[in-house]
Parts: sequence; structure tokens; C-alpha cells
Amino acid sequence: MERTNRIVRASYKIMWRRMYREDVLCRSIPGRQTRQYQSPSHTPTTMTDFKGVVVDLRSDTITKPSDGMKKAMMEALVGDDVYREDPTVSELEKRMAECTGKEAALFVPSGTMGNLISVLGHCEHRGSEVLLGDLAHIFLYEQAGMAQLGGIQPHIIPTNPDGTFDVDEIPVRLRYEDVHYPRTCLVCLENTQNVCGGKVVPLHWIDKVGEVAESVGLPVHMDGARVMNASVASGVSLERILRVCQTASICFSKGLGTPVGSVIVGPEKFMYKAIRLRKVLGGGMRQAGMLAAAAIYSLDHMVHRLAQDHHHAQLIAKAISEEKSRNVTCHPDDVDTNIIIVNLNPEAVTPDQFCERLLMVSEDEIHETGDGGVLVKVMPWTTTTVRFVTHLDASLDNIQAVITKLKYVIRELDSIH
Amino acid sequence: MVGRKKKDVVVTNMKDEYIGHSIEVTPFADSDIEGGSLSMGALEDGGPGGAVPAQMTVSVEEGIEGGAEMEVVEMKHSPEKKRRVRIYSQKFRKEWLHLKEFQGWLTEGITDDRAHCTVCDKELLAGKSELLKHSRGKKHRTRAAKSNPNPPPVQHGLSRVIDEDGMPHLLRIVDLRSDTVTQPSREMKKAMMEATLGDDVFSEDPTVKTLEDRVAQMLEKEAALFVPSGTMANLICVMTHCWGRGSEVIVGDQSHLHLWAQGGMAQIGSVHHRTIKNLPDGTFSLNEVRGLVRDEHDPQSPLTSLICVENPHHNAGGKAIPLNWMDELGALCSELGLPLHCDGARLINASVALGTSPARIVQACDSVSLCLNKGLGAPMGSLVIGTKEFIAKAKRLRKVLGGGLHQSGIVAAAGLWALDHVAPRLSWDHTHARALAQSVCEEHSSAVTVDLKDVHTNVVLLHCDNIRVNAKKLCQRLASVTDEESDELSEQIVVMALAISDTTVRLVTHCDIRKEDVRSATRKLKCLKYIKLDVHLPANSCSRVSVVSPLL
Repeated sequence: MERTNRIVRASYKIMWRRMYREDVLCRSIPGRQTRQYQSPSHTPTTMTDFKGVVVDLRSDTITKPSDGMKKAMMEALVGDDVYREDPTVSELEKRMAECTGKEAALFVPSGTMGNLISVLGHCEHRGSEVLLGDLAHIFLYEQAGMAQLGGIQPHIIPTNPDGTFDVDEIPVRLRYEDVHYPRTCLVCLENTQNVCGGKVVPLHWIDKVGEVAESVGLPVHMDGARVMNASVASGVSLERILRVCQTASICFSKGLGTPVGSVIVGPEKFMYKAIRLRKVLGGGMRQAGMLAAAAIYSLDHMVHRLAQDHHHAQLIAKAISEEKSRNVTCHPDDVDTNIIIVNLNPEAVTPDQFCERLLMVSEDEIHETGDGGVLVKVMPWTTTTVRFVTHLDASLDNIQAVITKLKYVIRELDSIH
Repeated sequence: MVGRKKKDVVVTNMKDEYIGHSIEVTPFADSDIEGGSLSMGALEDGGPGGAVPAQMTVSVEEGIEGGAEMEVVEMKHSPEKKRRVRIYSQKFRKEWLHLKEFQGWLTEGITDDRAHCTVCDKELLAGKSELLKHSRGKKHRTRAAKSNPNPPPVQHGLSRVIDEDGMPHLLRIVDLRSDTVTQPSREMKKAMMEATLGDDVFSEDPTVKTLEDRVAQMLEKEAALFVPSGTMANLICVMTHCWGRGSEVIVGDQSHLHLWAQGGMAQIGSVHHRTIKNLPDGTFSLNEVRGLVRDEHDPQSPLTSLICVENPHHNAGGKAIPLNWMDELGALCSELGLPLHCDGARLINASVALGTSPARIVQACDSVSLCLNKGLGAPMGSLVIGTKEFIAKAKRLRKVLGGGLHQSGIVAAAGLWALDHVAPRLSWDHTHARALAQSVCEEHSSAVTVDLKDVHTNVVLLHCDNIRVNAKKLCQRLASVTDEESDELSEQIVVMALAISDTTVRLVTHCDIRKEDVRSATRKLKCLKYIKLDVHLPANSCSRVSVVSPLL
């Protein structure tokens, strides 16, 4: 990637100023005021008589709790978690500790806070440094929290396309004791690697990193926001994946469908520090048992169905690759889990334009596809890519509709450029 | 007595009959008969008549109306003695099955004057005190605990707790540690489940937006932001105001932000605490504030960037800050060109206490933090309220701190429900607090004192002299139940409180505390007068039930 990605909402004003075939524009459903400026903060509103489907594939964080999950939340026993008296939170923490093979766990409001707590907990002293990949979520998308709030320096290692980095870089970049140098305190991994396209990081690589880190006396933290996806895709248990990691942060609010919540796992002594850090950052929620109940429900019912999301992602990737377009490409082999990175030819269409096109329906399209039309929400990822994320709220029918739409749009683009 | 029939019944094996019936043999007396008061004691040592005769003829009178069937027996001994004996035989009453002490094990016995304990599989005489005595026995309790792992549901307001010996106890637990322990009610949960959700990180959750707009309107500010906790709300406010490096904040030395936020402003925000002495009513001297403001041209000084006030002031006893002082402080801040932040964790309580709207209280403040998870009873959540520009920066800080929740509408819905249904009844919490304070005042104890004038909201601070009783001991005593106390009060009451210092115990009322709980807590507090607080009670004189975490 040439430059750091900006995650922006599709800025629709750019769309209108670009060269886009006049006839395509006119054939869009009338009523949509094509010359009107629309600020990025508004999602384009659909026509009131739009009878089709809107499929949101921007992220798996948009998943809503199911009825069974809501029932579990209502029936949960709760208490004050700041006094550590919430039985449901305790049960969740116990279960997560057991299934990851760690000593203890802690329920936190978000993955960002989970990672922040872990990094701050490992790097307690002034002048610390953390080794991590240059495409890590902690480095790119957590607003430099470790530096802003913790005074910790991130030291990045170039990431390979498969989500790994060169293990030999660790002893090379490790700081030895010198007054000019900060002290390296931690190595961070990410599984699945989000920016690289939800890649499942190879188990042997994780073990190798663990071995090298142990040899130089560094702990390993895994940002496992979607590690459940990695576990289901690779068939390896969580406990095995996290064996060399001292701590890990695991999200429930993504593919598992919980409204709110993440968990950090690690040694018990670390959790004492983590509880204090959680309190000072403001993560001490009171009757959090209701959210923990949703997480427990998702552990029981939502983990095994992640394979379906992976299958749906494969379907979309295959459909795109079958089109053999020169403007929109995707390799099914690159899709390991539920994230698809679609490459675009920048001369033909930019990511913003592509996203905007997917949010429009033309009359021809409705005639051709026969159904009411499909609107697909996706996220522009880099200057040349767009990200699709499948999740439990996008059923197989929705995915079929998305595929139909994609095929139509790709053919349309190919006919123009 | 109508329809009495005399008939002679020859009883041969008198002693067994006597023992079986556990009849108290009393000399004939024309007094009222009390049903059921029978004991073995008199019988064992032969009764007042001396040795039990081996054989006697007994005349039985039957047919008397009323619950207790009285058998007046004329005991015809062999020639030495002739004495008339009244034998009372209580029949089993169905009403006893509804009593909580007898539930789960009591059934009717073989005959109508017997009862049967299903747990011990034993026939008992149908007399209430007899049955009560049996239920309190150690063997019965052990067997009951073992045989019934899922005990029947207890009466509303009571809790079943297993103590360290495995004995179950029925207690009334009144949790006055904090108003954060409030549980979401059934209706609140229903509102949560029916809320429309979206992803708040994409700013698409309509319920959160509704809550934020509603609270912003309520406080007459431009915008609001939903965050997971009050600590985060205050931290965000301070860090947003102190956006630049080297900032300093003037904060009260008894305020929550200074004492109980783990130094988060400094630890996480790199902001310096500059404390000012809090007066007993929660305010501070405005002249002193002037003296604390730094000279911005002095490179030795950090830059004073913010003044923080807490309303109501929790450490001072939940006191609502006087309105005119808030206005004066606001005027001073405008004069000095400094923003004013109000830590309004329990702001609605203050507004109820002062009788004004919350907007009026924070009129002069640039930002406010308000908690939903305290007296308002929501499971979690707080709000940051300020100008639109302030909230835009606050949103960034919320994300970096890790407070960017996804479908947070589910908890925002609880906040909305609380504002509609719990906020209007907050004055009840204040009434309950005053009732508790009054009960302690009425005792005129010199060991534990409280000033009724100091109780403005839902917080009561009990001051202990450190001589006869200290705060920790008082809390322990309130949370324990002794035998004498349970006999006296005929109820086992546990009051949970927090010792916030060596000499102060804090009681906080909240929406989960009902009138019966307040009544019980009052009785318990009054009961303390009779029992020495810091005398070490010998181990066998009472069964201590120390409740740490109630199983509700």
C-alpha cells in the first residue's frame, strides 16, 4: 500500500464531479438530485418506493443481537462489576480463560480498550517501545492510543501480504541498553490481519515469533479481534493459536454478533493490572452482565456459524474473479475468512466511485435483474481497493443479490472503460 | 361448653401415652386454654403430681368447638390421688403451610394432631412452637440444606443465603453501599430489547442519538455524547478542555475527580491536578481560585486550563451546591477566561433537592458529565454534554480511550427509560435517606452521629467516634446478624454500607430500596444501641451471618 489508508465514509460529492457517463447518470432513478452536494456524514437516502434490498457489507461490527441473544440478556443475573460482583461477567471471564488456555480474563467495552489495556499493562515503565507490523490495527486505527495516552513508542516492521512479518526483524530491531534507546517491551501480532484482507496468520509463524520473543525475553500480545474467525477457518483451537501469546484481546462485537464487548485474556497477575487500567480509562461498567450474557450466548451459538460467513465471502470472491474484468479484480485464494479486498483499476474507477455506484440502482438494472434492485454498502479501503465483510446479518439470499449487483456493475464498468 | 360427653377411657400403658403425647400435666384450673403450648419437660420428671402412675382411668370430654380440642380428663388414680388433668391437643392447622418457616418440609401427619417433617421423615406433634423448635434444630437444617438444592422461591424482598457452615438463612439484605448497585427492572429490560439499533461507531444508532439529543435539550446545551462510564465522561471532559500540553486543572481536594479517578487526568491525560480546599458544603473559596490561576508568561508554570466543580458533592455527603455560588463561580470563570466543567454524576438528585431544573444548575458550565448508572438505575452509561465543537473533540477522545461501542443503543434505551420513569421518583430516595438519618439521630448516641441538616440528597454519612466504634467495625456489625438481634427484631436484616474513611460510614439510598427495606434498616440501626459494637463476641454465642455477596 502506498500510503496509509483513511477510513472515510464514501464522500459522495467527489462522485458527482468525476467523469461519469452522462447517460448512466440520467438513467438513474429520477428524484435523486444529482447536482446536490451531499456531505459525507449523510448516508444516501433511498427512494421511498425502493422495494429492493439493502445489504450492508461495510463491517461485521454492524451485526445486531438476535432474539435468542436478547432473551439471554434479559434473563441474565447482574451485579455491580466494579465491585466484581456480577455473576454473568465472572462466568464469561471464566469460560474465556478456559477456552483460551489462559489463567484469567477481563471483560472490556471494546477491542480498542482491550488492546490499549494490554499494551499499557505490558509497558509499565517510561521509555517503552513496542514491536508490531506496519499494517497492524493497533498502529493504524487506534488513534495512536499507546503513544497518546501511554507514552509508548510503536516500532513498525514491514508486513508481508499474508499478514506476517519477517521474524528475524525482531532481534534486529530489538533495542539493547543504551541511553539513546527506548526499551523494547512487547511484540504485538494480529490474527486475522484486517488490512491485508482478513488473512489467517500461519500457526508455525506465530510459534516462531513466540520462540524468538521468548529467547530475547519479550512477551507477545495478540490483537485477536477476529481470532474466532481464524480458529474456525484454520480448524485450530483458540488455545493452540494463543499458546505462545502471553495476552490476547478477543472481540465479541464483530462476527459473533454481540452488541458491545471484548475480552482480554492472560495471566492472573496481569489481570490485576488490567482491572486498574480498565478503571482509569473509564471502562468500569456497572451491570455489565447483560452484555456478558450476550457474549456467552454468542460463544454457544455463533462461533460455529462463522464458517458460513467465510463461505459467503468465497462466493463473492469467486463471482468477481469469474467476471475476468480488467477493472475489478479479486482472488478467491486471497480470501481466508470473511473479508474480501477487491482491487480496482484506478484509471477506471476510484474506490469512492465504486462504493457510490453500488449504492445506486438504475432502471435498466432493475429490468435486467428482475428483482426490486439491490443497494450494497461497502467501505473504500485504500486508494485502489474496496473492502467487503460478510457477517451473520447478510444471509445467503442477500449475498446472491450482492453477487448479481456486482456482476451488473462490473459489466457496466467494463463496457465504459 | 356444650355437648360435653363424659366417657371413661382406660389407658393401660400410661407412661408411653404420656411421653408420646408430651402432655403437660397441670392441676385443674378454670383458666383460659392456650392451644398448642405443650412441652416434654414436665413429663420427664414425672410432673407436679409426682411419679407417673402405671395405670389410670381417664375421663375424656369431647365436642368442644374451637380450633383446639380440649380434653378435660379426670384422672382417676388408684386410691392415693385424685386429680383433674387438662390435656390440650392442638390440631394441625392448614394456615401453617403458608408460613415461610415451614415451607418445603411441613405436611400433615398421620393423625390430625400430628405433623410430618418430610426432610427428617419424622412425626411431630402439631404445635406451632414445637414445629418452630424442630425447624431451628441443627439436624433438620443440615438435612434440609442437603436435600433441597433448589429451595422454593423466597418471599419478595428476602434473600436466601448459605452461610459458611452450609446453613440456609432467609435474610432481608438492604444494600446501601452505593446507588450503582441498582438492577435494571423488567420494564427497563423490555425497553432495552425493543430498541432500534445501529452501529454507533458509524454514528448510525438512532437510540443513542435520541438519548444524546434528549439530554442535551434537558441541560440546554448544544450536544451530548454517550460513554460507558462516569470516569470516562470526566476524563474525556478534562482532556478535551486541556487539549494542549502542559495544562493544569483547578479541582476541589475532596472531589471525586481528584480522589477516586485513579489520577486518570494525570496518568492518561498528562494534566496537572491543582487542588483547592473544599469547604464542608462542597464549595470552595472563590478568592482562593483567583490566587491559583497561573501566569501564562511564566515558563515555570503550567497553564491553567479548566476549573472543575462537583454537584452534588459526594464526599461532603451528597450536598447540592448552592445555586448562587454556582452562578458566582460561572461569572468568575468568564472573567478569568477559563472554562468550567461540572462533574454532575448525580446532577438530577441535586436538581430535585434544590427544586430547580438541571439546566438552571449548569447554566454557567461549559461542559457537564452526567451519570445514568447511579440513582437513575440504568445498568451502565454516562453522558458528556457541551457545545458541538466540544463534543466533536470528545468523540475522538472517546474512541482512543476505547469507549466506542457498537450497538450501544441497547444500553442507551435503558437510560431513556430511566429518564422517563426513575428520574421523577428520585425524591423518594431522598426521603428514605432522611428517614435513615432521622432514625440514627433519634438514638442520641454519642458513638454514631449524623447531622440531619447535611442530608440533602440520597447520601447519609454516619460519623463514628473512633473511640467506641470505628467505621469498619460499624460496617461489619451492620452486615452481620446475631441471634439476639434476630430474636428481638424477629427478622434477619443485613445492611450493607461502605466505610469511606476511618470515621465515616456511607449509606446511599436508591431506586431498589423500598419502604420495607428502609423500615428494616431503621430497625437495625436502632437495634445497634443495645449491642456493644466493638466488644468481641465469643464464637458460640451467636451465629454470624456475614454477607459479602448476596445471592439474589
